[in-house]
Amino acid sequence: MAITFLQAVVLHIFKKINGERTIYSLYHLFQGKRSSQTIQDAHLYQLTPYFHTYPSVTREKLEKMVDRLIKDGLAAEIAESKVILTDKGIETLDGQLAEHPLPVFLNGWKYHQITDSFWERLTLLIQVSSNLIHRERRFIPVRNKRETLNWVKQFIREQGEDRYHLAERLYLELVTALDNENTMPELIVVRLSGFKKIGLTTMQAAEITGLDPARYHFEYLNCLHALFDRILEDPARYPLLNGLIKQPERKVPLTLSTEKTYKLFQKGYSIEEIAAARNLKGSTIEDHIVEIVLSMKGFKIDSFVPPEKEERILQAAKKNSAKKLKQIKERVDDASYFEIRLVLAKYGDAEWN
Amino acid sequence: MELKGYLKKYFNFDEFRPGQQEAVESIIGNQHTIAMLPTGTGKSLCYQLPGYMSEGPVLIVSPLLSLMQDQVEQMMAMGEKRVVALNSFLTPPQKAKALENLHHYKFIFISPEMLGMESVIDRIKGLSVSLFAVDEAHCISQWGYDFRPDYLKLGEIRRKIGEPLTLALTATATNEVRRDIADKLLLEKWNEIVFSVDRPAISLALEKVSHFQEKQQRTMQLVRFLKGPGIIYFSSKKVAEQTSAYLREHGISKVMAYHGGLDSESRILIQQQFINGQLDVVCATSAFGMGINKENVRYVIHFHMPMQIESYLQEIGRAARDGGDSVAILIYSPGDEQLAFQLAEAELPDEFQIERLFTFLIENNVVYQDITRLEEELAMFCGFTDIQWRIVENYLSNLESVDYNQDKRSLLHLLDNRLKVKQSKIKQMLEWIHSQECKRAVILRTFNEKLEDRPENCCSYCGIEMEDFKETDASSDERPIGVDWKQDLASILLLSERI
Repeated sequence: MAITFLQAVVLHIFKKINGERTIYSLYHLFQGKRSSQTIQDAHLYQLTPYFHTYPSVTREKLEKMVDRLIKDGLAAEIAESKVILTDKGIETLDGQLAEHPLPVFLNGWKYHQITDSFWERLTLLIQVSSNLIHRERRFIPVRNKRETLNWVKQFIREQGEDRYHLAERLYLELVTALDNENTMPELIVVRLSGFKKIGLTTMQAAEITGLDPARYHFEYLNCLHALFDRILEDPARYPLLNGLIKQPERKVPLTLSTEKTYKLFQKGYSIEEIAAARNLKGSTIEDHIVEIVLSMKGFKIDSFVPPEKEERILQAAKKNSAKKLKQIKERVDDASYFEIRLVLAKYGDAEWN
Repeated sequence: MELKGYLKKYFNFDEFRPGQQEAVESIIGNQHTIAMLPTGTGKSLCYQLPGYMSEGPVLIVSPLLSLMQDQVEQMMAMGEKRVVALNSFLTPPQKAKALENLHHYKFIFISPEMLGMESVIDRIKGLSVSLFAVDEAHCISQWGYDFRPDYLKLGEIRRKIGEPLTLALTATATNEVRRDIADKLLLEKWNEIVFSVDRPAISLALEKVSHFQEKQQRTMQLVRFLKGPGIIYFSSKKVAEQTSAYLREHGISKVMAYHGGLDSESRILIQQQFINGQLDVVCATSAFGMGINKENVRYVIHFHMPMQIESYLQEIGRAARDGGDSVAILIYSPGDEQLAFQLAEAELPDEFQIERLFTFLIENNVVYQDITRLEEELAMFCGFTDIQWRIVENYLSNLESVDYNQDKRSLLHLLDNRLKVKQSKIKQMLEWIHSQECKRAVILRTFNEKLEDRPENCCSYCGIEMEDFKETDASSDERPIGVDWKQDLASILLLSERI
């Protein structure tokens, strides 16, 4: 049976979660909720590409979609709000993915903080450059955030270059960086505004390219994230585009509460001391530590897990294709759940399978 | 220099539009002025030009954030840099910066709530404001169709900042409302520049259909027949979306819906596409059109009846700004007024919500100064919409002392009055729909005017030749976009000789 692109994404995610989390974990994932639980789950189930990629989703829409999947026999509810794929679901999903693979460059976790601001700056910079080369000063900017307007104005001034060269360089960088046979650059280009030409809205762009709105949205993100990959691989080659990428205000994207824990930890406090000082439960502080490990590459965990135990946990995890903590604990019975979670967090997706 | 010289110098126009010159002369003659000029005649020029001709900044109070934003952008697009908008769009640091640099600006747009703050008033006191302009001044009157309680404070504020020269602007205000404006702004003597609300270039048509489907079909027929561009107004976001989709499904491609439910990027793009001629039709709620300068709108269709004649005039007034013949068509089907009555009620908090509100206030012994902080909690507890909350918040935060029972009674009384005013406005609109005489004459009578010159295509009662509004050019299809993205990108960023 034919399923929509969004249904395929949802089935794909449910397949990974495998009934171990409720359907609302998907809602939080799409929303990009900055909670330790959501962030850990995104890593645990290798769903980081989807983090904060569909914030317009609502609980109601999600529930409706799940009901539909169950009615169509593609998913089955195994406990309250927990679903797994049926055989038919798996088959349908595989069939669909063979025809329309999921976006390969999507990387919500890595890029969610810069995507929107990059797009705002890029669209405005293009519109301004286009009008500048046509010597048109009277036009209404397609962006109305004062912050973006000021930023782009400043950016153009900093380039210290004449308007024709600026536009030409921007064109050359874009035409090179967007050229990628695994994405659809036209999805981006139809939305751009310039001299006497106003770009399309997402809805119009979806209609004109013949994609349903959800698919359009993900393909558009895919295109931008592929563009980020290119730019960051070789920033010197794309100085203008690289300049548009907003440096995150916080280098470490931690939730606020975790940030506080992190500061205390850096001062040498133990988990118990932090819990006492912050009037929180020890388990909450443990969640924070796991989040820190997930967010900061190179954060040392030896003070929590001896290296020898770390190795044993890792081996057990590799043997177990399922990543249920319980199964790992059965194999390494002297390890605590906290220790297991730390090790899983440290090795993330990369060395997993 | 003569006045027209200044007009040429600052705006590059040769002629004033009706009423502009009189209003500007009145102000530079140092008289407080209430100017009622029809929509689409460029009211903003009435404070901009005197602003350029005198020392000191112009302070413009404007009730609608989006309108303010539009005006600021348009002035900036015209090359005026010394313009700023002070409203809740600003973050606290932005606001602090704007206040600090306030003396650098010539035109200061401000929302009434921001102007209510003591710190802001203190800052403005030191600026020697040359002109205090109140846009949409009818909002100050309880008899006006769009009463805004925070406008009531403007009189007192005006006194605090040293009673500067004042200009009250409105497109539609009856005699009663105009008197009320002067009264509330504490003007002792003033000059009135009143122009007819009549727009002879716009023919007024009323069509009756029997049900919703027929209305949709008729709308499509009209869109196919009429010369565009056009705007179709709806009272419901959902129906606006539906109709826009219905038109597109039937091959009318350059149509989009516009309403407050869209994200800001889409709103800007659709508005600009329409201005730029990439769209022929916009299916819009009343959020669309304010502050839009598009000269050549040829028709306005009302799919739902407006809530009052004043908004009907505002909305049809977006047609014919270039003076060319245009048509306004209101399509009525029996029972349409029910939606209007429902909307009027939904805008105001009901008795049950007010009961809950005071139960909460009494139980928690809340002082009114604190209620802004409790917004989320109270909105949830009483089920207030944004608009309802603003009404309640505004009312309570302006009270000096607390007497829960007395305050509840007076708030309920106020709300009851507002509802009655709104209902009578809807009835008036309905009477116009059902009236068996010249539609134009009825509207003018509402504003104590007499119809002097009847235009040829006056109204559906007097008779309209619809052929006059027919589309005659076959529409040309442009090159489809998205075929070659590299070429599309090149056409935006490279000059044609370089491609």
